[in-house]
Amino acid sequence: MAEMEPGTLITLVTVIVSGVAILLGTLTPAIVEGRAVLKALEGMTRQPEAANDLRTTLIISMALLESTAIYVLLICLILIFANPLLERFF
Amino acid sequence: MEGFFPQVIFTIFDIPVRDTVISTWIMMAIIVGVAAVVGRRWPAALEMLVDFLIDTISSVMGRPAGPYLPFLGTLAIFVAVANVIGIVPLVVSPTRDVNTPVALALVVFFSVYYFGIRAKGLWGYFKDLASPIFMLPMELISHVSRTLSLGLRLFGNIVSTELIVAVVFALVPLFVPLLLVAFSMLTGVLQAYVFTVLAATYIGAGLESMNNEQKK
Repeated sequence: MAEMEPGTLITLVTVIVSGVAILLGTLTPAIVEGRAVLKALEGMTRQPEAANDLRTTLIISMALLESTAIYVLLICLILIFANPLLERFF
Repeated sequence: MEGFFPQVIFTIFDIPVRDTVISTWIMMAIIVGVAAVVGRRWPAALEMLVDFLIDTISSVMGRPAGPYLPFLGTLAIFVAVANVIGIVPLVVSPTRDVNTPVALALVVFFSVYYFGIRAKGLWGYFKDLASPIFMLPMELISHVSRTLSLGLRLFGNIVSTELIVAVVFALVPLFVPLLLVAFSMLTGVLQAYVFTVLAATYIGAGLESMNNEQKK
């Protein structure tokens, strides 16, 4: 560890942090989306005549929920492919 | 990973032209050609598409889709074709470049003001925007942030599916990526639907008048 260059340490930390970030950032929206689908399916079975409205609302809200996972993915891509710390210091 | 991100092909007057721009030109030619041929041979197919767009837009906005159909329908067809055209060899998807989705989101951003001011007048629109005056900063921040999220959502979805296809292709070159390519086509069409519905929602929210209930 003593002979490690500073750039290597930043790369190592970046990779580990990206893995943790993509794990948490996809786990949470997946759970929440599953809950949304569950509630929508319950509503559809209870009231089949409202299925079309529910489907449209479900797709929109799932896109909105999924955008948080997309933000995490973008941040991970920036960290891995265009790390601002590496460009600033080295 | 070289070649995955957009490359600059040539420059005109110091303006870099990327391969995504060239594939946008190819895409425009394909859309116009297909529309001309299909419109002459099977007009019923185009009528089905327009009927679907009218139904979707009017059900989302809660009002007749007439004035908004040209803008939102163009947006839907452009985004859908742009997402799906990435499966053609040697043609990259234009929405893979971050500039294309953000440009489309900026068009939606300005169209909200255009349609709102056209429907309610300049004074009426801004009076409705600032109806409780302390909510005006929140409204303006939400306009900017939802535009940003609209563009980045489309970009992130397309880039993530194509990245997964590229990674799986590097691992197993035969047959297995086909499933993911089919999944990316599904995602692309779904994201075009979501983009259009969200744009319709934003425009419809800009058209709603706060004073309607008081007048009635």
